[in-house]
Amino acid sequence: MGVIRFSTLRHAPRPFRWWHAALCVTLILGAGSACGLAQQTSPTFDELAAQAAAARDQQNLPLAIDLYTRAEQLKPDWQEGWWYLTLLQYSSNQFPGAIDAANHLLQLVPHAVPAMALRGLSEFEIADYKASLRDLEMAVDHGAANDPHNEQIIRYHLALDLTRASRFQDALEQYRLLAAKNISSPEIMAGIGLAGMRSTSFPSEVNAADLALYQATGVAGFAFLFGDSLQADTLFQQVFAKYPTTPNLHLFYGVLLFSHDAGLAADQFQQEVAIAPANDSARALLAFALTIAGRFQEALPEAERAYAASPEMEMAQIALGRSLGETGNIDRGIPLLQKVLDRDPDNLEAHMGLAALYGRAGRKEDAYRERMLCLKLAK
Amino acid sequence: MSACSASSWRSRKRRLAGVVCVVAATLAIVTAIVCGWPSSRAVSAAQADTSAPVTCATCHAGVVNSYAHAPMRHAMEPATADPVLLANPDLKIQQNGYSYSVQTKDGHSTYAVTDATGTLTLPIHWIFGQHSQTFILEKDGKLYESLVSYFPREHGLATTPGDQHMKPKTLTEAMGRELPQWETLTCFNCHASSAVSGSRLTLDKLVPGLECERCHTGAQQHMADAVNGNFKTLPKSLKRMSTGDISNFCGQCHRSWETAVRAHFKGPSYVRFQPYRLQISKCFAFNDPRISCLACHDPHQPVNHDQAFYDKKCLACHGDAHVASASASAAVLPMAKSCPVAKANCASCHMPKVELPGGHVQFTDHDIRIAHPGDPYPN
Repeated sequence: MGVIRFSTLRHAPRPFRWWHAALCVTLILGAGSACGLAQQTSPTFDELAAQAAAARDQQNLPLAIDLYTRAEQLKPDWQEGWWYLTLLQYSSNQFPGAIDAANHLLQLVPHAVPAMALRGLSEFEIADYKASLRDLEMAVDHGAANDPHNEQIIRYHLALDLTRASRFQDALEQYRLLAAKNISSPEIMAGIGLAGMRSTSFPSEVNAADLALYQATGVAGFAFLFGDSLQADTLFQQVFAKYPTTPNLHLFYGVLLFSHDAGLAADQFQQEVAIAPANDSARALLAFALTIAGRFQEALPEAERAYAASPEMEMAQIALGRSLGETGNIDRGIPLLQKVLDRDPDNLEAHMGLAALYGRAGRKEDAYRERMLCLKLAK
Repeated sequence: MSACSASSWRSRKRRLAGVVCVVAATLAIVTAIVCGWPSSRAVSAAQADTSAPVTCATCHAGVVNSYAHAPMRHAMEPATADPVLLANPDLKIQQNGYSYSVQTKDGHSTYAVTDATGTLTLPIHWIFGQHSQTFILEKDGKLYESLVSYFPREHGLATTPGDQHMKPKTLTEAMGRELPQWETLTCFNCHASSAVSGSRLTLDKLVPGLECERCHTGAQQHMADAVNGNFKTLPKSLKRMSTGDISNFCGQCHRSWETAVRAHFKGPSYVRFQPYRLQISKCFAFNDPRISCLACHDPHQPVNHDQAFYDKKCLACHGDAHVASASASAAVLPMAKSCPVAKANCASCHMPKVELPGGHVQFTDHDIRIAHPGDPYPN
């Protein structure tokens, strides 16, 4: 299933992938609706409701929307009506109307997850990315992406919103969840490339020449996220050869490698700072990765530079504090790590650094206390 | 004192001074011979006999001979001369709907897995472990960890530890778990020598097991220089490393405490990672040599399984103060409480054996503690 297919779905919404969601909502709300209907059986309302359902079944969306709207005027707490107004207007590219209908439904049922997801998708379409991010993130947290029919469209748009918000790692996590199920499309590939290379653009906003770069990078990233590290390495090497001076390529590969092998990641960050020496984030990542890899002598000069450039950057503080302490300057290292904890008391790396430096300083009890704290934090 | 006696005394003093000089000179020569000569003599002898290649054993025969039987030397067994497979030439097991066999003939071993669709047979090139053995297999340029391993306690095959959750759907999946790039590097780097160069596998140069150079970085250079009479380029002395540094050094393969915390190790599956467990112990101190890995274990020797052997290591800290004060270390290092229960077989109570889940073997828990029967496994 390609991303494109969702656009197609919007214009010709049959068979509805949202049927499942619609049914869920209907089931969730069914009891309440049925009670309401039993208590307020207005012939006019019943007629309108029946006609709206018939129009919907006949795929006459404009008529169905009109009838549902009129029915809602008679009975504004009719949840099923608001749901279909959300769904049908979204499917008809009437995004402001879909958002309005979803607002009504969510006021009545604050945890109507499918409505939350549809509102997020509609907000995306009217370029309200901040609101879209809030809704899609909440919808995913509440299980909106658990239905395989809806997962791709929701996660992809959430990833785009996260990318726009410069939350690149979170975006890559959404792509990882898609890649794990081998869900791919050219848009997803480009999206991975953009998020990986720290660009807040959407694939649709990129010119053709750049799109080729982002897609090639995304294909390599997808292979990695899918779990084929060997193929990913081959593809990344090809991209590096084709774009030897392009910034953020090695950074992306390093970030992917980091959680598996800090040493391999550090090698990539090293190549990144060789290409872009002014990239302070890459240098901080390099210093941090070298620190995690236990290569403290190498980490120290990088950490000094990263800290000088961004003294408030937590990663630079940890890298500098730890590498200073591990290379003999414990008195300067410990306060830097303590400074991190003043702002972020549960920072595991800072506590681990303190455990090591207290140990070096002969402060056995302090070191033990920090080690035990780390075990607790790690749980 | 008379002039005569004074003269006689001076004369005796002169004679005594002469004797002292001679003795000192003799001692100096003997010291020089004892300390320096054997190496240069051995190298010279090797140089004279051009048919004898210079190796580490040329000068360090004793340690090299004992290391030949040490577990690390056998971290990987040669594919054509593995004593375990030679002694068990026809191993079979059926599980999860697949039939596995490991057959050895004429020094060559093959690993086969069969289901209703056919049989997948691969040669075994790499045998990891000395007692329990797992096989690394190559298929279509990818490396796999065999899904079944050999266990000496059962004298047969069973699921490889950690793979119990796998439910293979194809012959390839049933054959083994595909290894990601970083895991492959780590596996080969810890079980073999010359198998990794930077971030690349160099399997064509692989030597099974860990050779001297693997831990003693610079040993090859030292050997080359020693042949030319240069004894200044010595590898870094591991004996002089602090307890904390040794723990991290051994932890490169046996998993350090930091590795365990970052990877969220939890439960008895990780009891096999001794540096991590040791650092959980309250008595671990970064700068106290009595709790160093090397205080109890000589990596050049086979592991001593006699618990009584380790008693004096425990008593170095927990012995009676008046006895311990006779030793040099006790003069500067504080003593800990002595055990009110026993003075022998300390490890039997304080370092209990823990069954490795799915591992078909027990490991000594290096989390040194007062362990009561029925206590939960401490994480």
